[in-house]
Amino acid sequence: MKRLWNSIKDALGIDTRPRLSSEALQEMFKTRYRAFRELLTANSAALEAMAEMEVAVAEEKTYSISFIRSKCTVIIVNLYKMIRNLLLMSDGRYVNLEPAFHRIEEQIIDIIEKKISGNDAGEWLLPINQVNRGIAAQCGEKMANIGEVATLPGVTIPPGFVITASASRAFYLNNDLYNAINRFHHLIDINDIEDISKKSEAIGKLIIDSPLPPSLEQQIYANYDRLTELAGRDILLAVRSSALGEDLEQASFAGLYDSVLNVKRDGLIKAYKEVLASKYSAAAISYRLNKGYMHEDSTMCVGCMIMIEAMVSGVCYSRALSGNDQEMDIFFSQGSAEGIVDGTKNAGHAVMNRAAPFHLVAMKRAEDGGEGFSEAKALELAMVAMRLEEHFGAPQDIEWCLDAANCLYILQSRPISALLFRDRQEEEETVIDDGRLLMRGGVTGCGGAGCGPVRVVRNHADMMAFQKGEVLLVEHPLPEWAPLIQQAAALVAESGSEAGHLATISREFALPSLFALEQATHTLDDGDDITVDASNRAIYRGRVEELLQEVRKQPNLMSGSPVEKTMTEVLKLITPLNLTDPASPYFRGAYCKTMHDITRFCHEKSVTEMFSFGQRYQFADGASKQMITEDAKPLDWHVINLADGFSDDFDTKSNFIRISQITSQPMQAIWEGMHAYPWEGPPAGGVRGMGNIIFQSAMNPTLDPAISSGLTKKNYFLISRNYCNLSVRLGYHYAMVEAFISSLRTERYVTFRFRGGAADETNRVGRIELISQVLEYFQFRVEKTGDALAARVEKREQKFIADRLRVLGYLCIHTRQIDMVIDNPQHFQRYRNKFQTEIEAMIGNDQ
Amino acid sequence: MTSERHFKPEAILNIRLLVVDDEDDFREIIHKRMSRFGVNPNLAACCSDALASMEAQPADVVILDVAMPGMDGIQCLGKIKGRWPLAEVIILTGHASVKSGMDGMQRGAFDYCLKPIDVMELLEKVELAAQKTLVNREEGMA
Repeated sequence: MKRLWNSIKDALGIDTRPRLSSEALQEMFKTRYRAFRELLTANSAALEAMAEMEVAVAEEKTYSISFIRSKCTVIIVNLYKMIRNLLLMSDGRYVNLEPAFHRIEEQIIDIIEKKISGNDAGEWLLPINQVNRGIAAQCGEKMANIGEVATLPGVTIPPGFVITASASRAFYLNNDLYNAINRFHHLIDINDIEDISKKSEAIGKLIIDSPLPPSLEQQIYANYDRLTELAGRDILLAVRSSALGEDLEQASFAGLYDSVLNVKRDGLIKAYKEVLASKYSAAAISYRLNKGYMHEDSTMCVGCMIMIEAMVSGVCYSRALSGNDQEMDIFFSQGSAEGIVDGTKNAGHAVMNRAAPFHLVAMKRAEDGGEGFSEAKALELAMVAMRLEEHFGAPQDIEWCLDAANCLYILQSRPISALLFRDRQEEEETVIDDGRLLMRGGVTGCGGAGCGPVRVVRNHADMMAFQKGEVLLVEHPLPEWAPLIQQAAALVAESGSEAGHLATISREFALPSLFALEQATHTLDDGDDITVDASNRAIYRGRVEELLQEVRKQPNLMSGSPVEKTMTEVLKLITPLNLTDPASPYFRGAYCKTMHDITRFCHEKSVTEMFSFGQRYQFADGASKQMITEDAKPLDWHVINLADGFSDDFDTKSNFIRISQITSQPMQAIWEGMHAYPWEGPPAGGVRGMGNIIFQSAMNPTLDPAISSGLTKKNYFLISRNYCNLSVRLGYHYAMVEAFISSLRTERYVTFRFRGGAADETNRVGRIELISQVLEYFQFRVEKTGDALAARVEKREQKFIADRLRVLGYLCIHTRQIDMVIDNPQHFQRYRNKFQTEIEAMIGNDQ
Repeated sequence: MTSERHFKPEAILNIRLLVVDDEDDFREIIHKRMSRFGVNPNLAACCSDALASMEAQPADVVILDVAMPGMDGIQCLGKIKGRWPLAEVIILTGHASVKSGMDGMQRGAFDYCLKPIDVMELLEKVELAAQKTLVNREEGMA
């Protein structure tokens, strides 16, 4: 309404502009310019953080939840700064912006901040025979499965109890551990194994030193005493991890968490805390970071079961790992099974058929025992295994043992990770026989080939010394070497099998690996270059090119992980740009849907505010001046001085200014780029009809065309000594160049926007493609949407920034009207070459 | 880094800087690196030390940690801005949180930065805050 009244008054020639003293206006203008400058710096910081998030996703980099939280914080804080400054500059316009911003902010917080509630009413302890998959969220998959196993006929498990997720959460919350541990995580460097190791120790110590809630401690002892009474003898417990979210398809967490064995009553509390702390072993931290899991994602439940004194123990896969669906695998050895999954023991191997009546297909005993494992027991185990598979509806990975009385106990049952199955190609092994062969044999963990210098790793110090690209050579494939998997070129172990934890992890990371290659540490010398052909189980001296042709495909480790999901969700609220056209009726604060919209809106409006200040307040110093040539011919360019952009000898009363009177460094650079080469005119063959006249008149890009009024709006430079914003409307396209060249890196950037054209869409998009190729060649970061383009460079040397402005000045002039002919590939190529050659000659080749 | 040679402290040399952080190592490193550029910040290990230091010798720019024993950085910010409204405060924290970031900004922080931070980058932020504080001072006198 007020606006309407004003426009009526305008129409009647009544001046509605506020009147203020010239000093007051000067002060106001200065204050606004300072706010504008702060807004621009905040804009840069926010856009940089957005770009970093996009790059992390596009390049399938590994990123952590701390990364997401940091970037979101940077973006939100800087957007808030932008809004605050825009409101300061605009006499309180744009009131709808803040509510829109806070709405998006709250949605982002909901996504990235995990709230772990303290009012968790769940039981802290449960007897093992009372747990099942219905309450897996309280006891972890592992214990849920084993509890359920106990209900099946003919299946026996050791008695025990579970310390639940609620108990673990109560312990964390009582000691403020979530926050304390997050503080360590924020600063962890994923590539620095030593750093991870140190933090792992510190977190471990923190957990061990924190007291349990007293009533939890009492309940744990009470349960132990109940078990003792039940057994009627002194008992030892196996205290095992059963983490939530463990054993998922995409992430095995194979062997990364500890079990503590042979635990007596007085060691129980410490053992419990040790298992909790094993969630933060260096291997587990590194694995989670690489695979995109948060430590809050996996609450640690702990199972305590009576130790069975095992005569024989092992692992059974109810479907053979070879992929043969008629058979199952049983691995076994003397004593406890830990050695098999740890990879420290070479196991015996029995193959059984999968349907009743069960029978033995093949049996191979290891040298060091397993004699106690009879064929009869193998049949019993096969039967139990199929019963488990039937119950759970999928092939099972089963840990089992036989006690002194030859009684069969099931210790664990879980679905076989898909990663365990080998490809069922009966691959012909090929070996190159030209004298370079060093070793043959072993078991393939993960196929493929890798090459690098050998590094034998036996201890922590060796681990710290490990360099990216080396071949990891170990005696035993212990899970603690897992952090090296990401860095190694290949893995070779003297012991172990394809069933071990490290083998599983090597498959997840697509690292060529070879196990049970005896004498490897004696045959291969530290530091020698070798090529490991894991598929064909062979090792060669030097680099065998023909084996390394196939590029090792790094799988997207984050795929499907909680961190990736968080990123996808949060990016939807950050990066899409809906407000693209300032002329559209939807270009308003209330329509901002993403953080990118907010930055775009604030930026656009802040430029407009600075632009219109002189006019609105009748402030001569802030009004526009027209450019003239040195011999006083008028040019079609206009300049508004925001601060210190004109030389001291310029008379502020004058309406005309020469380029020599401009002190703005960025404007000078753009100007140079515009004038380095004369425009060659509109492209031949693209000139049609009435357009011809306009094109002709535009032959000299800087002379004021008499017919411009209808088609071209004025072209403005907004400047200060360090700043320039140029809006150009040349013919039918719109371009915006903006830069700040400060002595401070934080303040340095160039940004470019380009849109439109007179040609049809294919051609307009073709021109965008051409410009984007040239910009990328000159190291801009480019984003294209349809016939619009945005490009940016920040925080580089001052000369680099100034040269980018010359590039943009050049392009503003020379891309005119080429959209008429760009669909011809020859034209495309010719322009590209011409642009790159001329620009390089202009700025000197600093590529 | 080549940029080290290019950074010329200007406004920063005309102001008093205070660094508040409970980590001894951090204060020491910051002090050492900044002194190479002729910047000699006062140091405080907690909020009450910071307030005492401000009483004795008011700082124009304050770098403030968030998680500290006793009063946390956000509360401390409130105290500082309440008593010395012209001072500019840069929050520097090791634990990113949107909420605490917004809390800090709404209570008038100049900027909110995350550790680890390059000393050059931090110096630039201080330089910008210093420029602003010099303007504050000028306007405060006018």
